[in-house]
Amino acid sequence: MNREDLMFSEKIGRRRFIKRVSSALLGIATVPIWKAGHASEKIEKTPVLEYRPLGKTGLKVTTVSMGVMNCSDPAVLLRAFDLGINFYDTADCYMNGRNEEMVGKAFERKRQRVFIQTKVHDHDEKKMRASVERSLRRLRTDYIDVLVWHDHSKPDEVSDPRLFEFMSKMKKEGKIRFSGFSAHSRMASLLREAAKSNLHDVALVSYNFTHAKDLKEAVALAAQSGIGIVAMKTQSGGYKKEKMGGLNPHQAALKYVLRDQNVSAAVPGVTTIGQIEECAAVMGAPLSKNNFSELEQYYSFLRGKICTMCGGCLGECPYGVFRSDLLRAVMYHEGYENESLVRESLLRITRQDLERCSECPSCSVICKRGIDMKAQVRVAQQLMVQSSKSIVGS
Amino acid sequence: MRGRKVMFHRRWIILFILTGSLVWFEASSWAMPLESLIPKKDIPRGWSLIHGPQTYTRKTLFERINGQAELYFKYGFRKSVFAVFQSKENREDQIEVDIYEMESVLQAFGVFSRFRNEDRPGGFGLESSLDDHSALFYQGRYFVILYAPEPNQEILRKFSKLISLKISDPSLPPREIGYFSENGLKAGSIQYFSEGLLGHQFLGRGFQGTYVEKAGGQAEDEKKEFKLFLAIFQNSQKANDALKDFKDDLSKKGKVSSGSMAESETRVLKGEDPYQGKVMVVQKGPYLLGIVGFEKEEDGENRLAEFMKKVKLPAAQSGAVRSRASRDSRL
Repeated sequence: MNREDLMFSEKIGRRRFIKRVSSALLGIATVPIWKAGHASEKIEKTPVLEYRPLGKTGLKVTTVSMGVMNCSDPAVLLRAFDLGINFYDTADCYMNGRNEEMVGKAFERKRQRVFIQTKVHDHDEKKMRASVERSLRRLRTDYIDVLVWHDHSKPDEVSDPRLFEFMSKMKKEGKIRFSGFSAHSRMASLLREAAKSNLHDVALVSYNFTHAKDLKEAVALAAQSGIGIVAMKTQSGGYKKEKMGGLNPHQAALKYVLRDQNVSAAVPGVTTIGQIEECAAVMGAPLSKNNFSELEQYYSFLRGKICTMCGGCLGECPYGVFRSDLLRAVMYHEGYENESLVRESLLRITRQDLERCSECPSCSVICKRGIDMKAQVRVAQQLMVQSSKSIVGS
Repeated sequence: MRGRKVMFHRRWIILFILTGSLVWFEASSWAMPLESLIPKKDIPRGWSLIHGPQTYTRKTLFERINGQAELYFKYGFRKSVFAVFQSKENREDQIEVDIYEMESVLQAFGVFSRFRNEDRPGGFGLESSLDDHSALFYQGRYFVILYAPEPNQEILRKFSKLISLKISDPSLPPREIGYFSENGLKAGSIQYFSEGLLGHQFLGRGFQGTYVEKAGGQAEDEKKEFKLFLAIFQNSQKANDALKDFKDDLSKKGKVSSGSMAESETRVLKGEDPYQGKVMVVQKGPYLLGIVGFEKEEDGENRLAEFMKKVKLPAAQSGAVRSRASRDSRL
């Protein structure tokens, strides 16, 4: 009998068991099943812990770490700690600071045994300093292990000497140990820039099985330069089992990311004890054939649904049409419903570009996420016509 | 004869259309465009709108708040609008406003309850929280968050009140809030989770409130806290299944003990959770009611009994319970 069969028979047994006791009242139910639990029933699964160095920092972090962002119950953090997870990612702005407070309270007496990463936004020095002080107070600690700039999106931000100077001061004052940046878009170009600048200890980047080879190469380059790579958005959309017809590809998605030895740790965002247990069980486990098939199904599920502005389509058009502006214009139209932003984006595309697009019998630009590029161009063309009409009208 | 019949039908159709229009008018009278909630002509004197209003949908919210968008999606996010105001005197003085339209007042309360920090009521919306840098409130199905990079409580209050006045959604706060006794309740601690109540997937959605145990001579930060919770399920069977899962979980990771409450002799699941402390759970129709983290058994029982009395079953459920009770009494 294989494992699945065993699980099935256990479920049937449980159903029968429930049926036998279903005489429980609808109102205040009398549940006649409360026999005392026996110690022998305790099945405590401890994951095999897998550690990797976090770049040049010298910290040894568990490959499966925890993204605390949407979690509101300290029980989940404490469970993660008991499972051996030692790296936790939060931010000053999550839940208006409440997220940091929960982390601080949960780990106050365990501070030496965990690494905490939090974030700061780009402001003037006074505001950034105040933000760090607030984070320290909420985290109930006198040092932050890793402080990252929240959400860089341009290469010049990554090598901004002003920001680096601030981080150096924080390090000298003992308020932080290491610094880095986070990025949700254009990750590949930012990582390449970071690898050149040598200013960062850590990079927190979106990285999952849907991303292009280009990002994988940039991750390798940055890791080789000594930057500790922390992967977020590893599940590519979070826990939505019910929307995927029962498919549960999250372990497979996590394994896929951790298969890349250039990744130091992944910080999947979890909100329940069950989820963190599921994630922790991935440590040390290989990506199986079944996992690949799950990822294929998951990919089909996600395919064509979202443009992540990954930049993978740039430069692939033989006529040099700027696809990111084009996609952005469509996104502003469909998502933001903001026509002034649409017009702004369209200014960077010439009518001739779009006309050249129409001349092509088939589009050579292929979106890795399966977005129909031709359809996007058609929408952009319509937008351009509308935009010029409104300009003439005004 | 036929003409009379047609007239009769026509009257009915007209009546139907009129009633429908009235219902629609009632429902839509407070469904205003989200952008209109952003102050424009009525901006406080000395301030001006410098950015927005910028609308975000499910497709684009990520651009505004990155991964935190996931939290809003869990609470039925529909769309949001963002704007920035600036003081004419001091350009550093700015107010960022985000207004989120959620599916219902329950969802708006839920997301508000995950963000608010302690109880610092600001006196606007259905419930609010105000400090030097931020103001949060919910009203109807809207959750509003204002942020001031420079401390400015007064202007945060002004903008909040202004926005609150523009919201005409008359929905009342979720009735479940009233089930939580105020005796010992930590102010501003009631939260609504759309999933993962107490960190457990099997508990699904529900409310929790934190209480402070009254014991003399204890320092403020040493006071023992416990929680009352109310998990809500589709029906009694699902609640019963979850109770079974709870028992399984306790027996695997903590301790289970049987027992009944002294006064009512209602059977309860009793045990100890490694992270929440002592646990007592009871089912009431489609609800699981419980208490976690208490110290004395007797106090816990009393608290739970009081909670059980306060929790009212949904109308359909209470009917089912009554009919079952009368059937049982006949047996």
